[in-house]
Amino acid sequence: MTTTAPAGATAPSHPHSSETPPAPRRRRSLTGGGGVFVLPFLAFFGLFLVWPIVQGLWMSLTDASLTLHDPEFVGLANYAEALGDPDVWSSLGNTVFFTLISCVPLVLMALAMALLVHSGLVGQWVWRLAYFAPYLLPVTVVTLIWTWLYQPDIGLGNQLLTSLGFEPVGWLSDESVAMWSVAALTVWWTVGFNFLLYLAALQSLPVTFDEAAALDGAGAWRRLWSVTLPQLRHTTVMVAMLQVLASLKVFDQIYILTKGGPNGSTRPILEYVYDVGFTGYRLGYASAISYVFFALVIVVSVVQLRFFRQEG
Amino acid sequence: MSSAPSARRPLGAWGSGDSPGLGRRRLFRYGAAGATALLAAGPLAGCASPAGSTGPAALKVWDLFQGGDGMLMDEMIAAVSRGADGFHVDRTILDWGPSYYTKLAMSAAGGRASDVAVMHLSRLAGYAPGGLLDPIDLDLMAEFGVKEKDFAPAVWKRAQHEGTAYAIPLDVHPFIVFYDKDVAGEAGLLDPAGHLAPMGSPEALLDAGKKLAKATGHSGILFGHVTDTAQSWRQFAALYAQTGASFTLPDGGPPKIDIEAAVKVVTFMKQLFDGRTNPNNLDYNGAMAAFMDGRGGMIMAGEWELPTFRKSGIKNLGAAPFPQIFDRPAVYADSHSFVLPHQDDPDPARRRQAHRYIAEIIKQSLTWASAGHIPAYLPVQARPEYAKLDPQSSYAAAGEIAVLDPPNWFAGAGGNFQNRMCQPLQSALLGNTSAEKAVRQMVREADTLLRQPNPVA
Repeated sequence: MTTTAPAGATAPSHPHSSETPPAPRRRRSLTGGGGVFVLPFLAFFGLFLVWPIVQGLWMSLTDASLTLHDPEFVGLANYAEALGDPDVWSSLGNTVFFTLISCVPLVLMALAMALLVHSGLVGQWVWRLAYFAPYLLPVTVVTLIWTWLYQPDIGLGNQLLTSLGFEPVGWLSDESVAMWSVAALTVWWTVGFNFLLYLAALQSLPVTFDEAAALDGAGAWRRLWSVTLPQLRHTTVMVAMLQVLASLKVFDQIYILTKGGPNGSTRPILEYVYDVGFTGYRLGYASAISYVFFALVIVVSVVQLRFFRQEG
Repeated sequence: MSSAPSARRPLGAWGSGDSPGLGRRRLFRYGAAGATALLAAGPLAGCASPAGSTGPAALKVWDLFQGGDGMLMDEMIAAVSRGADGFHVDRTILDWGPSYYTKLAMSAAGGRASDVAVMHLSRLAGYAPGGLLDPIDLDLMAEFGVKEKDFAPAVWKRAQHEGTAYAIPLDVHPFIVFYDKDVAGEAGLLDPAGHLAPMGSPEALLDAGKKLAKATGHSGILFGHVTDTAQSWRQFAALYAQTGASFTLPDGGPPKIDIEAAVKVVTFMKQLFDGRTNPNNLDYNGAMAAFMDGRGGMIMAGEWELPTFRKSGIKNLGAAPFPQIFDRPAVYADSHSFVLPHQDDPDPARRRQAHRYIAEIIKQSLTWASAGHIPAYLPVQARPEYAKLDPQSSYAAAGEIAVLDPPNWFAGAGGNFQNRMCQPLQSALLGNTSAEKAVRQMVREADTLLRQPNPVA
């Protein structure tokens, strides 16, 4: 318990939280000697993030390849090709579908888990550890475990189903099931992080409101709906935003688990970019697809931000 | 019931070649072992060849051999490093798969590649035309005792591009069948000498599947293809080549494929793996586990799985070339070959050393054969020690009837083409689509790839 408590306490100041609009607290920074301290960061940021972004944009306007051939300017031809490429649309559809089916449970389950733990279960540290532990595993390990669980023949999943009298499921081989299998793995693996954010938020809520409501005769559900959840609003906004961005970026577990199969049904857009750019050598075209996707991510982020702002 | 031990065993199967994401642990393990070996060997090698000291003089070689193969390669390198004119080798092992070929292409495009690299012969068409490889000097090779007549013509031909040699093959690694001799004997499939009797027709193989299933009490023939990006294609290509039809990928498309023959093959594959006597839904590791568990009498797999099966404790393991069931004998294969990745400014002395290195390593390929690979260098195949290797020598003939991927820049091991062919085939085997639809999708996918601009031309 001693080890997890500080982690939980520091979670709200997780670097990602800067992506949500925090309480407007302006400091007179970057004045005086402060700028010097930021310079190394700015240099790296410029060199390894801004410059590649610019370079990638330029590349998307050429027919650059990984091989010897000198790139030629082709204007918007790559973008035109991307918009008419059925594989771009299908993989983009897969990414969006994955985002939808992974984000909802990842937010709701994390909240439920945090509420359960916060409600005063005995052996707090066991629960915190159990919920958070999968998040600590590297992607290769997680995928390895689940590959065996999903084994059609000897996997635990089908063993369980058949012993209960159900038909075995093609976890990774059935085109209509495979993406759900990927989502289940992802939820198991990453829900612990959101859980931790929620738990930290719950622990920092002032108990006075809850006590007052209880004195006024509000039951547990009433207090949850009318007191606790509204106070968690900012955390929910942050968790949801982070989760949508993380889910849109899905690649590793799918690449290891299914390579995008069966029949392309789990191939996310980033895998298509990888296939085109690194297996197919077409860097220019791959960059163009990346920028189409980049645009989509920005649109989603802006819409999400607007949506939450209006609510508030 | 028996899921615990079988789930554990196949972990050892990874890394032997075709599971890129999972080989990494092995890479680290053997990389560490290799590093220790190098540290230990370093001072000794320094004594043996003072001229060859460390640093830039060491010959830089890249390969993709991990696991058992990696250790055998270590052994072969150690063998050529001994003596006064032994090599000083700086070996880099990279993870097998698409990423290996990306790295190889980038290093060659940068002009400062390694001195020697290993490449699947099926990938040559994506590297030689674009200038990513430098030609092999055959006179130099002859000087070191390696000539064209030392290789099977089918393999040698694929090492050429427009009449110039760009690769020297080390092995041929075909897609074959492994079987449990006891089970096959019970099923009545062995000839008097105790080898798998010829099949000769699709019906015979279907029948064999049923008999094997009866003998094991579970499954007959096993084949792992689910989520795999090469297996279904390997099986299809073997059977399709047996029909005598050809599959070519002319630049700009459309692909030339005999639709009727392709449909016949896919229909047969569906019949063979109908989900009853032969499970149709296994992935690679699941099929390996099932075979090692005795739940199938035969498995269609690459010969490189030999060490894994040996370790699994199958008492009477047999191996045979992929059974001929259509008009002519053919097996799907690939070949690990040595190439000279492009260097902008090669040092002639080092180039000479690189040629000598390739020749010397190839002469060591009896060691390589112990893992199951067929040595491409025929003088090694002719040695009595090779004939004694069982079951390796029983499928050595596969090298002569080897069929590789149709040549084009995107085809070959770890390429997009195999992956795209596997997707519809997998759907067909799982019963999600008909043979006709699967073949139509294969043609469409091949056509899409052909209509892309060729990045290496």
